[in-house]
Amino acid sequence: MLVMSNSSHVPCRESHGSRGLRGTWLLCFLATLAWPAHADTILKVTSASVALDEGVYELDARLALALPEAGRRAIEAGLTMRLDYEIEVARVRRFVPDADVASLVQSYELSYHALSQRYLLRNLNTGEQQGHGTLQAALDRVAEVTIPLLDSALLEPGSTYEFRVRASLNLRTAPDTLSWLLFWTDDWSATSEWYAWTLQR
Amino acid sequence: MDAAALRRAASAAVIGIGGLLWLSAILFMAQTAQHSEQFSRLHPWILMINIAGLVVLVGLLATKLGQLVRDWRGHVIGSRLKARMVWTFGVLATLPILLVYFFAVQFLNRGIDSWFNVEIRQSLDDAVTLSRAAFETRMREHLEATQTLARELEAAGSAPPGLLERLRRQAGATEIVVATDSGAIVAVSKGLSSDVVPDEVPGEVLLQVRQGRPFVSLEPQAEGGYLVRTAVPVGSAAQGRGRMVVQAIYPVAERIAALADALQSAYQQFGEKDYLRRPLKASFILTLTVVLLLSLLAAWYGAIFTAQKLVQPIQDLVKGTRAVAQGDLDTRLPLTSHDEMGFLVHSFNDMTKRLRRAREDQQRAQQAAETERANLAVILARLSTGVVSLEPDLRVRTANPAATTILGDELEACVGRDLAGLGEGDSLLRQFAEACRTRLAAGDLEWREQFTFQSGATRRILMCACTPLPGEGEGEAPGGFVLVFDDITVMLQAQREAAWGEVARRLAHEIKNPLTPIRLSAERMRHKLLPSMNEKDAQLLDRGTETIVQQVEAMKEMVNAFSEYARAPRFEMADVNLNQLVHEVTDLYRAQLTGRGVTLEVHLEPAVTSVVADRGRLRQLLHNLITNAVEVLEGHPDGAISVATRLALRNGEEVAEIVVEDNGPGFQRELIGQVFDPYVTTKPRGTGLGLAIVRKIVEEHGGRVEADNRAEGGARVRVELPLNETTRAQSVQRERRAEPRRERA
Repeated sequence: MLVMSNSSHVPCRESHGSRGLRGTWLLCFLATLAWPAHADTILKVTSASVALDEGVYELDARLALALPEAGRRAIEAGLTMRLDYEIEVARVRRFVPDADVASLVQSYELSYHALSQRYLLRNLNTGEQQGHGTLQAALDRVAEVTIPLLDSALLEPGSTYEFRVRASLNLRTAPDTLSWLLFWTDDWSATSEWYAWTLQR
Repeated sequence: MDAAALRRAASAAVIGIGGLLWLSAILFMAQTAQHSEQFSRLHPWILMINIAGLVVLVGLLATKLGQLVRDWRGHVIGSRLKARMVWTFGVLATLPILLVYFFAVQFLNRGIDSWFNVEIRQSLDDAVTLSRAAFETRMREHLEATQTLARELEAAGSAPPGLLERLRRQAGATEIVVATDSGAIVAVSKGLSSDVVPDEVPGEVLLQVRQGRPFVSLEPQAEGGYLVRTAVPVGSAAQGRGRMVVQAIYPVAERIAALADALQSAYQQFGEKDYLRRPLKASFILTLTVVLLLSLLAAWYGAIFTAQKLVQPIQDLVKGTRAVAQGDLDTRLPLTSHDEMGFLVHSFNDMTKRLRRAREDQQRAQQAAETERANLAVILARLSTGVVSLEPDLRVRTANPAATTILGDELEACVGRDLAGLGEGDSLLRQFAEACRTRLAAGDLEWREQFTFQSGATRRILMCACTPLPGEGEGEAPGGFVLVFDDITVMLQAQREAAWGEVARRLAHEIKNPLTPIRLSAERMRHKLLPSMNEKDAQLLDRGTETIVQQVEAMKEMVNAFSEYARAPRFEMADVNLNQLVHEVTDLYRAQLTGRGVTLEVHLEPAVTSVVADRGRLRQLLHNLITNAVEVLEGHPDGAISVATRLALRNGEEVAEIVVEDNGPGFQRELIGQVFDPYVTTKPRGTGLGLAIVRKIVEEHGGRVEADNRAEGGARVRVELPLNETTRAQSVQRERRAEPRRERA
């Protein structure tokens, strides 16, 4: 299922450079608020599971991730793409709301290093950085993650736990001084639906 | 505080808060470009608030302009002046704003474009290319070193630790890893400065090496700095132990790495900004546009507001002037300023105040005049004197009821008509109008005269006075005339009656007393002397004394008649059956008249039952009327007398009417109005008191009597008597009230 959570409007983004754009900004903004989003970015959690490895539950998640041409241009121009995995674990209870057990945000940043002509993928949680010769290689890499999640001792035996994960994609500028302008450009940012499953401990 | 003031305060508060919010949003939007870390998340909201504010302002302005257009089309006072002021103010504000906007946009576009001009981009690209070239040279050297190292390892056939360490030192690498083409590490040599754990061979390296191609790349490090990663295959699959991979990692000098980082950072920032250049321009222009629209709309709104403020006093003045013109002098204009307009408003209020006082004075005077007029009207209505006012052109202006009563015509209905056209035939009104008009036409503006008018059986003696009304200016023609006249007929009649009464009383006193001695003396003379005288003398004495006795008797009768006339009445009022009384009296004459060849007809209406009267006086009235008719018919062949009673209406009241008619010669026309006066008679033997006594008796009973001639010949006397005591008393009282007034008149 294709899910887009942000809004986009092609004329606002593509009719740049013309003087007529000045007079149509107001209408474009109102149209952006009123009209449905235009889908270019693909971001979906295709599979996710947890596996116990030496007393630690590890999350294996797979994304269907595809950037539109605008996104690729933005990265090559120097903007940084940020991909966040939001992971939540809750103990399922029958008659009362589920109890939160753990939540984690695993963030990655993808940027282009012009001098080395490599795409750098940086794990913001660990600080690890990997270089990739192509953007697609970097995207493939970030679309398949294995993340240590929580100690098995935190899960009570006999209980049922619900795991859910979703990914969100957006842009940021290297210094934040121009980040407010992304309101006008990052119309390919996206947030996936929650992918949820249960685990009987 | 009233509701309107609360609403105004609430509106002002809402407008103030909204304006502050909006102004804050604009300032926030301006600050966004400089402090985006704080405002980047708020940017959409700030933008939305600004646009919402613009929409609200557009709505307000549209409302105001719509109202202005409606006022213009509706020709509302001051709308045209306001429209001209709004247009002038608006244009004066719009032109510089648009000019500034145009140049600001131009400068903005050119300024931002100048930041990203081609030279800078090209310079950065060249710098990156140059850096890459420098790094590629170094990377090629490192790759060659790695290939040499690989050949030595291949020549050695194995990778003893000492050899690998020596080769690493010789090549200057920080780390050498020997691994299988699947990535399994076989041998490692690391420098002391590097991590203990060897860096695994990345998949893309293995993939490329498996294809038989060497791998070299410049790799930025997360913690800073650069490494050069090289990898080459060692040996071949033909050697039977599988293909191996040698990965050597070489450091990059810190100084060079720092330069490379700086270049990369500059290149990235420039690229980022270049990429965001269009939205940056658009955002700046949008901010500028919002500010422009705000200024523009605020300027127009301010123009309308200012025009309204300036025109409002004028509108108030015009409205106030119209209200004053329509008579509303309570109009007070609000004093909103203390400038010249305020002075004007103050003057207007002062003027209306003075006007209102003047009007109040005028109203009081008018009210007093109305009161006086009403009083005068009441007085005139109550007056028995007729008052007629005339316009200068002799048209009737007013007439009081007494004038109508005296002249017998509805004079109040003649208001506005010319004096010359009033009345018909020989009516009293016509004679009166003609007499007055003649005097006035002759230029006699102020006069007093007694008129005698005869209309049919009615005779009126009027004392009339004319006075001119003052004109509008001194020496101007009179503003009209006032005719004041009184009916003095009754007064004169009363005066005559009083005089005759006095004459009668004196006659009765002075003449009646000597008559008896005269008669006795004559009879004594006759009795004493007649026997002793010769026949001739005796006859003479007899005729003489007889004449004396007869004349004395005649004089006695006359004196008795005068005495009867002057005698003060002593009434014994009672219900008298009129028909029965008439029947009794006429019966007394029936035999006498039959002998004279005169017929007497009596017509009694059964409805006439009784009247309140003195029976004796009423009997005398009937005797006088019938005797008068009998004397008139003396010597008249086929004489006929008719006596009738009937009911009639007089002033809405039923009265009993006695009508006595004869077929004699009738009254002389010129004497008809005087037949009831004493000593007015056409009979050779009449005393002239019969009808006078009739009128006196009638008046004593509150009735009225009229005499006229019948159309077929003969006289007719009509007597009206009230039926009951109440009506009689009212009539008598009315008559008594009228007499003194007439005397005064």
